[in-house]
Amino acid sequence: MMLEVENLNVHYGAIHALKGVSFHLEEGEIVALIGANGAGKSTTLNTISRLNKPTAGDIRYRGVSIVETPPQDIVTKGIVQVPEGRRIFPKMTVVENLEMGAYIFSDRQRIEADIEMVFGKFPRLRERRKQLGGTLSGGEQQMLAIARGLMARPQLLLLDEPSMGLAPIIVEQIFDIISEINQQGTSILLVEQNAQMALSIADRGYVFETGKIVLEGDAGDLLEDPMVKEAYLGGG
Amino acid sequence: MNKQSIQKSAASGMVFGIIVIFFALIGFTVVISGLIQKALGQSLGVGQMPSTSSFLIFLGLLGIWNGWRASRQDKHETLNTKKVLGRSTIAGLVAGVLVMVYALIVGVLDNRGINLRTYLSQLSSESVRFFLFNQTIVVGILIHVFYSTLMAVVGGFLALASERSRERVKSTRESIQKWSQDHWLGKLQGNPYVSYVLMGVVLLLLVLLPRTWGAYWNYVMGTVGIYVLLGLGLNIIVGFSGQLVLGYVAFFAIGAYTFALTTSPEPHNLVWNFWIALGVAVLAAALSGILIGLPIMRLRGDYLAIVTLGFGEIIRILLRSDILKDFTMGPRGVRNIAGPTLFGRSFTTDVDFMYLIILAVLLSIFLARRWQESSIGRAWLAISQDETVAQATGVNTQKYKLLALSLGAAFAGLGGALFASRNQFTGPEDHALMVSINVLVLVIVGGMGSIPGVILGAFTLKGLPEILREVENYRLLVFGALLVVMMIIRPEGLWPARRPKLEVPVGQDNEPVHLPATVGGEK
Repeated sequence: MMLEVENLNVHYGAIHALKGVSFHLEEGEIVALIGANGAGKSTTLNTISRLNKPTAGDIRYRGVSIVETPPQDIVTKGIVQVPEGRRIFPKMTVVENLEMGAYIFSDRQRIEADIEMVFGKFPRLRERRKQLGGTLSGGEQQMLAIARGLMARPQLLLLDEPSMGLAPIIVEQIFDIISEINQQGTSILLVEQNAQMALSIADRGYVFETGKIVLEGDAGDLLEDPMVKEAYLGGG
Repeated sequence: MNKQSIQKSAASGMVFGIIVIFFALIGFTVVISGLIQKALGQSLGVGQMPSTSSFLIFLGLLGIWNGWRASRQDKHETLNTKKVLGRSTIAGLVAGVLVMVYALIVGVLDNRGINLRTYLSQLSSESVRFFLFNQTIVVGILIHVFYSTLMAVVGGFLALASERSRERVKSTRESIQKWSQDHWLGKLQGNPYVSYVLMGVVLLLLVLLPRTWGAYWNYVMGTVGIYVLLGLGLNIIVGFSGQLVLGYVAFFAIGAYTFALTTSPEPHNLVWNFWIALGVAVLAAALSGILIGLPIMRLRGDYLAIVTLGFGEIIRILLRSDILKDFTMGPRGVRNIAGPTLFGRSFTTDVDFMYLIILAVLLSIFLARRWQESSIGRAWLAISQDETVAQATGVNTQKYKLLALSLGAAFAGLGGALFASRNQFTGPEDHALMVSINVLVLVIVGGMGSIPGVILGAFTLKGLPEILREVENYRLLVFGALLVVMMIIRPEGLWPARRPKLEVPVGQDNEPVHLPATVGGEK
């Protein structure tokens, strides 16, 4: 098993944000975490990449607990998060953003090969490679954020709301690329409010509600589930 | 003329009227007129009022600016005589009438024998009469209105003339550019040997100037040098790593006091070797950077600013308190601090000190540049733009933030030690909040994150006030005005940061992508 999250609890001060969340992800899977705003999906991701500290529970990556691992070491282990909200370095060029993504590596030639590889996936970025990140369009920024994540050669990619605030056509492009990345061997943990989109490319899914997992199953089953349909897919 | 245009003109006039009144209230009109008179080569005795003609020049310049500003309301429209005349007349009249009302009030009050200095220390009877051009009230206020309007109209027509000649300016600039490309002088630009020669000239000047220009200039430039050190240090913290630290003076104080207490016969009679004490002072400051940094690592933005502000004040208050009196001499300060020695000889003349400071500055510039261009600099740049994302890409943000704090603090420690050694004294009041603010302002005005900017900022903010002794009382006013003006016309500083270009490894075509003109950022 690649990732095991067991009875995860997170508090923000007095707020109990995660109340005993447990789930797992197998090697090569896309797992979607869906649910409404504030249900605890992003908190879960942030806790796995250690931007947050859990108050109780365990996270195991390939059998080894990583709850005490500092965030920079999580990245070297191969778990890379693409944070929510198209966060890129606005005053660095596209190429510099990508190089920053490869911060943990020093092998110049491989980094250059990686940049070529992500440009192959995102041709738009090649066109804009000397442009400052802050001057890109929303869709391009999201592509850059994912591309930067790929530069760290992730084995497990944590994607936080990649569809947020983007036009439907761009969302589709981005989800195609996510599937492609997965087919090339990267496992993906995907947090999404756009449940339809997320479940359509995922293998399995978990439904979050107020800090707890209320439903889990194969993505196809969840898409057909009456409760999910009602709550997240805009009625049956 | 449409209503909006009239409103804008009147607003401009109002601003300028208020500026004139404000300057008059604080006595700035007298000071500036005096400076103008001196600049024209006429002598001015102490306590003597400047001549009316120099006042008229000052008012005229403000008036012309007023008319210019009021006329050019929109960059995209073409001006004509009618527009310019209307707008500048309104602006000038509004300013003039405001000033007239003010002059009338103070004039009448002064006439009745009321001593205005009770309320505003600069409003002596002479200065009120000076403001009225030494005429009667009625004549004085009429001159104000008339002159303000006249000068605004002049300014308006100057704006018109400048716009009409813009095309010509443009073509001139292009031909100069072309000339410089063809001519051998232009080709020198970008030649590596030229920069070596320039560097050699600068070094030669740095060697020769302290010997030739005398003790006064060595003192002034020594102060500038110490502020360059402080600026470079704070620039590492604020400019490179993006942490807004307001109590920077604390590190300066720690450097100065460590040096003072280890070299002065009183109170501890340690009298260490100069260089050892200097090293210890720098280390102590760097260490204090880490110690203060550890508990505040989680704070960002405003919280960090407030906490560090408090830290700076705590250090100063501790230094002057009775608690540490036996250890730091309390408010009296530490005297007889050692000067530099080398192989048993002492180097304490102003020239020696200037060299020492120049050496320290050069070393600091070298180090700061090295750090900026290394992978450390890249980590700082990432942290300053988005700390969370930097963390997500594997940057150990805590380590690099602490590193920035302690390196920046080390520069301040060096500056503090040199400062204490040069003055042979240091006391709590050398380490007031104003030092932190001065340094922060010089970093902002120079250009945050830019090393040449910091140097330029230090010369502007510490050098100019020393040279313009006359306006010393108005330093805060000038500071404030400078900051506001800078934020409007050059928000990125006098010499904005141009990040060292990281190599661009990929791509077949090497043509740069042109950014849309509206986008800010790098130019």
